[in-house]
Amino acid sequence: MVSPSQPPSQTQLPGPGTPPTQSASSPQGGGAGSVASPFSAQTQQAGLNIVVLDPAHGGTDPGARGTGGIRESEIVLDFVIQVRRALELQGFQVVQTRQGNENPSFDDRSATANAQRGAVFVTLHISSTGLPGTVRVYVNSDLPPVADSNGLIPWDRAQAPFLGLSRKFGDLVQGYLTPRFKGSPDAAQSASVRQLRTTAAPAIAIEISSVTVEDRADLDRMAPGVADAIARGAAAFKPSYVVAKTPGALP
Amino acid sequence: MTSRWKFRLIGGLVIAVLAAAIYFPILRRRVKRAARLQQQSEEQARRELTQPIVINPGDPRVKTKVFWASDTIDSTLVPVTVELPLSNDPVLRSKQVLNTLLAGPVDAELRTLPPDALLLAFYLLPDGTAIADFSEALATSIPSGIVSEQLAVDSITRTLEANVPQVQRLKILIHGQEVETLAGHLDLTGTFVVNTNPDQPPVKPSATPSGADKPASPAADKAPAPAPGTLTPDKAPGKLAQPERKP
Repeated sequence: MVSPSQPPSQTQLPGPGTPPTQSASSPQGGGAGSVASPFSAQTQQAGLNIVVLDPAHGGTDPGARGTGGIRESEIVLDFVIQVRRALELQGFQVVQTRQGNENPSFDDRSATANAQRGAVFVTLHISSTGLPGTVRVYVNSDLPPVADSNGLIPWDRAQAPFLGLSRKFGDLVQGYLTPRFKGSPDAAQSASVRQLRTTAAPAIAIEISSVTVEDRADLDRMAPGVADAIARGAAAFKPSYVVAKTPGALP
Repeated sequence: MTSRWKFRLIGGLVIAVLAAAIYFPILRRRVKRAARLQQQSEEQARRELTQPIVINPGDPRVKTKVFWASDTIDSTLVPVTVELPLSNDPVLRSKQVLNTLLAGPVDAELRTLPPDALLLAFYLLPDGTAIADFSEALATSIPSGIVSEQLAVDSITRTLEANVPQVQRLKILIHGQEVETLAGHLDLTGTFVVNTNPDQPPVKPSATPSGADKPASPAADKAPAPAPGTLTPDKAPGKLAQPERKP
């Protein structure tokens, strides 16, 4: 992946009953002093209220490509539109790591999530193998425990303290996906997904099978079911997740 | 010039053109064949250099478990038992089993690694950390996706786990270099757990910065379930350190 010269754009669209907000925060977690902190409006709210959606790949990286010219980077962007709508109906704010055909780096995408308070992270992929019509949810494999005494989380292992939460969130979403998409696993799988490792929030990867379908419409038909399952999973996960009042503290 | 000389000259030219018309296709075929032979010999030489499959017939033939894709259950691995003369030296043994894995099963559909991928080098450190260096084809020819990349790495780690108990963890390099991902998804910056046999020498902490360990077996592949009712992170996150920015 190629890091763009500009940070990824991010917008927050309000869910029902939530005042509209626009955030121009740095994807590096608020490193720039002149930008508005995303925490200011959220520290007053307890619980999960933001879902960061990551349409994978983009730009010069098309991701998986099918023989019929299907490109993963384009399809996931279309999926995200429907996922976003479903999440907003559930009352969540949605932040996207990319809006168009850009390719933020892994770190930039994680930074977009790490700058939020009370957020979960969902990265969307289309595979090039696997049984077409199935959907798999992944959580990051076990990471060595964070043992820094200075109170900082190493960026390279930012996901480590959240693995339990990610597992819970992933199992919930997979539980809503499996009845809709026969042949999908019953529970979330573990994998060393690079994008998840640097994300300091409950984080899952969702991979839809696959770009090998003969007709792109076969994939498009899956979008509403995937969107609904993610939204229901996030809503079911919300009561379990307590967010700290201040950034950097325990949820 | 007399008409007689003209006739001889024209006749000579016609003969030369006919000879060229006959000889040129033959010459072209020979050039093509020579080029093909050179290509084959280069490929052969490359394989001989990079794939020293040291098979010693004197080594004991042992039942070797090689993990390829299942033909019945989607995106899972199954062990296939083949009888091979395997060295007792863990490095040679690792090369032998990995080259068998790379060679692929009879049914090419059940491959987990690209057919043009090669094992360039294999090292085993005293602490049980193995380093496998694969050719670039492993990253460029593998189908992109979490499931396919995970299956590829799992097939490598589980084949080593089943046959070389000395290998405790594995670092994968591509053409001698550390890469961030295999093909855009699977994290290769850390090491993968292979064997956790307590009888083996203790493993020192990984030198890799991320240490993204991955259980190799499906049983160990499950992250510990969260404690019921207490959905908080396993450890206080504290502040987040900033990543090193690339120019």
